[in-house]
Amino acid sequence: MSLYMKKNKKLMRKALIAASLFLLGSLAVSLYSLLVKRFGSVEWLHHPLMLVSIMTLISVLAFKPLDIAFTQLFKNYLFKKKSYGHIALMNLTEELALILDLQELGNLIVNTFGEVLHLKTVALVIGSRVRGDFEIASAYGWNVSDYRRVRLPEDSPLIQLIRSGGPHVLVRDRAIRTLAWQEANRLTHDFDSLRAGWVIPLFLKEDFIGAIAFSAQGDQRVFDEVDFHFFREFAAPVAKYIRNAMTVQELKIVNSELQDIQSQLIQSTKLTAIEQLATGIAHEIHNPLTIISGKAQVLLMQKKDQNLDQRVEEVLKTIVKQTTRAADITRKLLMFSQGSRAPKEPLSLGQTLEDTIALIAYQTSLEGIEITKSFGDGIPDFYANVHEMREVFLNLILNSVQSVGSHGKIHIELNYDSKDELLSVQISDTGRGIDKDHIDKLFNPFFTTRNDGVGLGLFVTKQIVHRYGGSIRAESRPGEGSLFIVQLPILGVSGYGEVPDRSSLTLFPGV
Amino acid sequence: MKKLLVVDDEAEICDFLKTFFEERDYDVRTAESGIRALEMIAEDKPHVVLLDIHMPGMDGLATLKEIKSAYSDIKVVMVTAIETQEKIETAMRHGADNYITKPLSLEYLEKDVKEKIDHVIDMQESR
Repeated sequence: MSLYMKKNKKLMRKALIAASLFLLGSLAVSLYSLLVKRFGSVEWLHHPLMLVSIMTLISVLAFKPLDIAFTQLFKNYLFKKKSYGHIALMNLTEELALILDLQELGNLIVNTFGEVLHLKTVALVIGSRVRGDFEIASAYGWNVSDYRRVRLPEDSPLIQLIRSGGPHVLVRDRAIRTLAWQEANRLTHDFDSLRAGWVIPLFLKEDFIGAIAFSAQGDQRVFDEVDFHFFREFAAPVAKYIRNAMTVQELKIVNSELQDIQSQLIQSTKLTAIEQLATGIAHEIHNPLTIISGKAQVLLMQKKDQNLDQRVEEVLKTIVKQTTRAADITRKLLMFSQGSRAPKEPLSLGQTLEDTIALIAYQTSLEGIEITKSFGDGIPDFYANVHEMREVFLNLILNSVQSVGSHGKIHIELNYDSKDELLSVQISDTGRGIDKDHIDKLFNPFFTTRNDGVGLGLFVTKQIVHRYGGSIRAESRPGEGSLFIVQLPILGVSGYGEVPDRSSLTLFPGV
Repeated sequence: MKKLLVVDDEAEICDFLKTFFEERDYDVRTAESGIRALEMIAEDKPHVVLLDIHMPGMDGLATLKEIKSAYSDIKVVMVTAIETQEKIETAMRHGADNYITKPLSLEYLEKDVKEKIDHVIDMQESR
C-alpha cells in the first residue's frame, strides 16, 4: 500500500512543479509581449535573448512562492485533508481497532506512520502505570537497544508541556523558542532523547496516555497547520486503541498471576487430600498392623521358652520388619503433605542433602547405585522449610535413581557463588537421559514417562523452588545422562521476614 | 501391683495389650473411650495410662488434659497411629510423658512402661 502511495505522491509533486513552470512561462511571455507593445520602438528589446533573460528572472524570483502557493492550494482546496498520506493513516485507524496486542499495535502505528510520511524516526511513547515514567513502546528508524533505554520521568519538561498543552501538536523549534534558556535546554534535551521534531500528544478525553514523536528526513519537510489538524484527528482513535491494548496487557498479567496462584492452590488442595487420605489409611491399617506385628513380637520374645525353629524365627522377624515398612508408607505420605506448613529455619543444605540421601540409601544399595557428593566450602545456611527442601532434593534424586537403573551413578554437587549470592545444587546421572521433546514438559503437572508415575514430582519441585525465588532447569543428552540444576538466591533475611529467635523454635518449651 | 490402664477405641488393641502386660504381672484394665477412662481412673488410680490419641468423642488430647489436671502423678504415654507434628507437640505440652507410634515395638513399650511405673511407685513410697 505504501509503495503505491509513494509513487502517487511523486507524480503529484511533478504535476505541481509542471503547473508552476507553465504558469511562470506564461507570465514571462505576457510580460515580454507587454514590454514589446509599450516600448516597440526600442531595437534591442526584440532580441530573443531578452525573452530568455526575463523568463529566467521571473522563474528565479517567483518559483518558490508560487510552488508553495500551489501546494497549499492543492492541499487546502482541491484535496483538502484527503491527501494520500492522510487517507493511508485513516485506513490505518480501522486496522488498529482489531489489534489488542500492545506491541503489535505500537509497531503497526510507528511503521505505517514512518513509511507513509517518509519520516526519519517515529517513537510511540507510553506512560508506564507501574513506574510512572514514560518510555518508548515501539519505534521506527531506531535501534532496539537505543530506544529501550529512553525514559522520560513524569516531571520532565516535555511531559509537563504536553500535559498542560493538551492535544495540540508540538513543534520542536516553536516550543523551545518560547522558553528561557535554562528551561529551553532541558526541553531540547527531551526532544533530543526522543529524536523528535514534532510530538503528537495522545489524549483519551482528559486522560494523557502518551505521544507519537517523530523527525523528518534530512531536507526537513515542513508540516503545516492542515497536517497538524489531521494529526489531532488521527491521535484520538489511536489513543483509544492504545488504552484498550494496555488494559488487555494488564489483564494478561493479572491472569497469569491468577494461574500461578491457582496452580499453587491445586497443589495445596492435593496435599490436603493426601494428608486426609494418609491419616485415614493410617488409622485404619496401623491398628491391624499393630496386632500382626505385636503377636509376632510376642512369639519372638518367648523363643527361648519355646525352642523356636530358626526358620520360624526368620519368618517372625520378617513379619515385624514388613509391618513397620507398611506403616512407614503412610507416615512418609503424611510427612510430605504436612511439609509446607512447617516453619522456616536456617538450613545447611549439605546436611539436608545428606539426610535425603540417607532416606533412600536402602533402595539405592539394593540396586547397586553409586551416589557421590562434592560440597563446596563456605556454603551459607539457606533460610527455608526443611520438608520442602527435602522434597525438592528427594524428587530430583529419585528421578535420577529411576533413570539410571541398577549400577548407575549419581553425582550431587553443592556450591555457592558469593558474587551473585546464589546457592546451586547440581544432580547429574548416567541414566538414559531425556528426549528433546520431553525436556520442555518435564516440569508440567501430570507429565510422566513412567507407567507407574503420577507426574507430580518435578512439578512440585519447581513450585517449591520458585516459591524461594529460585530457578530449576534440566539438561540432557539422550543415552548419556541428565543434569538438573537448582539455583536458590540467598535473599538475606529480609526476603522472608524476620528470622525467629532460635530458642522459640524449641519443640517442647517447658519440657 | 503395677497398675496399667489401656485406653483405645479399638477393642483388639486393648485385648492384645492387656494379655501382653498381664503375662508380665501387671494389673491391666482397659477403656474404649476417654470418658470411660476417666471413670475408671476415679474408681482406682493406675500408675500409667496408655492413651490413644485418635478416638471418637472425647479424644486422647482432651482426656490427657483431664487426667493431668486431676492427677499429676499419673504417667501418660500417648499411643498414636499417625498424628500430625502439631498434635504430638500439643500432647507433650499438655504434659504427656512420652509418645509411641503404632505398630508398637513391644520391647520398647514394655521397658518404657516399666520404668515409669517403677518411678511412680518409688515416688509414692518415698513420700
